[in-house]
Amino acid sequence: MKSKAIEIVNFTKKFGEFTAVNNLSLDIYENEIFGLLGPNGSGKTTTLLTIATVYKPTSGDIYVYGHSVTREDYEVRKLVGIAFQEPKAMWIDKPVDLLTWHARVVGYSREEAKRVVREVMELLGLWEHRNKYFYQLSGGTRKKVELAKVLIQKPRIAILDEPTAQVDVLSKHALWDVIKKLRSEGTTVIIATNDMFEVERVCERVAIIYRGELRALGTISELKDSVPKGDIIEIQIQGELRGIEALRELEVFGRVSVNLDTITIYSDRAEEKVVDVIDALRKRGLQVKRIMVKEPSLDDVFTYLTGAKLRE
Amino acid sequence: MKLRNQKVFVAMRLAWFTVQVLVFARAISYIVTRTVENYTGGAEYYYFYILGVYTTLLYSTSIARGYMVAEEFDDGIVEYHLSLPVKRNTLAIGRVLGGGVSTLIFTLPMMIIVYTVLRVRDPVVVAISLASALVFSAGVVSLVILLVFTIKSTDLTDIIVGAIDALLVRLSTVFYPLPVIASTGIAPYYVAAILNPISHMSDFLRILVFPEYYLVAPYGPLASILYLVGFSMGLLLLAIEFYEKKLEAGGWR
Repeated sequence: MKSKAIEIVNFTKKFGEFTAVNNLSLDIYENEIFGLLGPNGSGKTTTLLTIATVYKPTSGDIYVYGHSVTREDYEVRKLVGIAFQEPKAMWIDKPVDLLTWHARVVGYSREEAKRVVREVMELLGLWEHRNKYFYQLSGGTRKKVELAKVLIQKPRIAILDEPTAQVDVLSKHALWDVIKKLRSEGTTVIIATNDMFEVERVCERVAIIYRGELRALGTISELKDSVPKGDIIEIQIQGELRGIEALRELEVFGRVSVNLDTITIYSDRAEEKVVDVIDALRKRGLQVKRIMVKEPSLDDVFTYLTGAKLRE
Repeated sequence: MKLRNQKVFVAMRLAWFTVQVLVFARAISYIVTRTVENYTGGAEYYYFYILGVYTTLLYSTSIARGYMVAEEFDDGIVEYHLSLPVKRNTLAIGRVLGGGVSTLIFTLPMMIIVYTVLRVRDPVVVAISLASALVFSAGVVSLVILLVFTIKSTDLTDIIVGAIDALLVRLSTVFYPLPVIASTGIAPYYVAAILNPISHMSDFLRILVFPEYYLVAPYGPLASILYLVGFSMGLLLLAIEFYEKKLEAGGWR
């Protein structure tokens, strides 16, 4: 049985009259990479900042390894490290000074701090920028400095708020590898993002949050399977398609649409039906040139669950 | 880290302060008649004045440093601080004392000038002066943090702190000895001056540096230092309460 790292129980956060998160309950297991997926303003960051004890719940509670964020906030902070969505530093800070200060605050000796800061900065390709002022760094480099804080801290729970936003594609892949390495060293990682590709590439379980409420929770394949008739079988036919009426019987597999030489079937569990579809086409004397099975994207899942697009 | 980047600011302040102490203070001292010595316990007005000028600078620098701490609320740095594995009361004390220590570092060259002019060589007097300046500065930094939190706008705080700054300095003994203020016969002015922490700071330094001032001061050094400790501790406790119970990122607005 998986042990819980974080237990969110009926968590609600209001700012004045505005409800940012409404009655959220979910568990995050130890040593998993967990994704919070939702558009901007959906309550992801509020949830993460409350786990990090930066916000206080309006009602409900969050437990980090059994410690309440409302009553044992200091105990929680000892377990949690966070990389913020917007990098936090004064414009006159230099990355190396900022990270060394951070290392000292999280408990390294002076000598250890120097060593670990250099190690992490080299790992993230930041060493060459160590003595620039913060305002001289690109958005992506600032995000790396933010991530460096967590890597230096090596917390039991790492919270990463849109860790690869503004980061170039090559660096994104490198950062995802770093995040996976962090998990392999025993850290539970929580990522808030609206980047579907990032979720699919990195996360094991995902919570979809929309307008402050939990809409779905599960592994990526569980979420995709939750969309009825979300799978797509796309068949390209050799030669010309004739006798569309004859294709009606394909509708037993799902909704059918035909465009030039391509037949598209919207179905459930498509991979189990492909052979039967090919047989049915052969019986009609149609030769299959190419067949492709596509599962729904997370964007499709999100649209199905919320009626909205992920990047609204 | 931040102090290193404000060399120009410190250099300008130091240059202006040096001119004020060595030129303008002398000029004012000549203008003031000898009778003022009756109100300073026999000490030259020049001595009285430059310790007042130093206290004013200590106060305004503390306001500026406190303001920098409070600006972190606007800049979002407070979110980062609140997420660090540090107890809230430690964070509050650290921010307040950090503001106090940086004020002390900023104003140290000015203190050296004043104490050189006054020929203060006793290390005990210097040490007590520095300690009392830190206590005073920590109180002012706490006051600014609490004001920003209460007013919930750094812009509005700017205006209010400016007004308080002007009033507090004028309603104090930095330029006029308390017996002179008493002789004006304006009771509210006298009461404001006697309750003003800036008066206690400047008069405490005066009694330390030229003890004859004690002869005319209506309160002794012990009363002044207790007043300053009470002022700072009270405000520091309020700042801790604020950090522990009320402050959360975004929620301070």
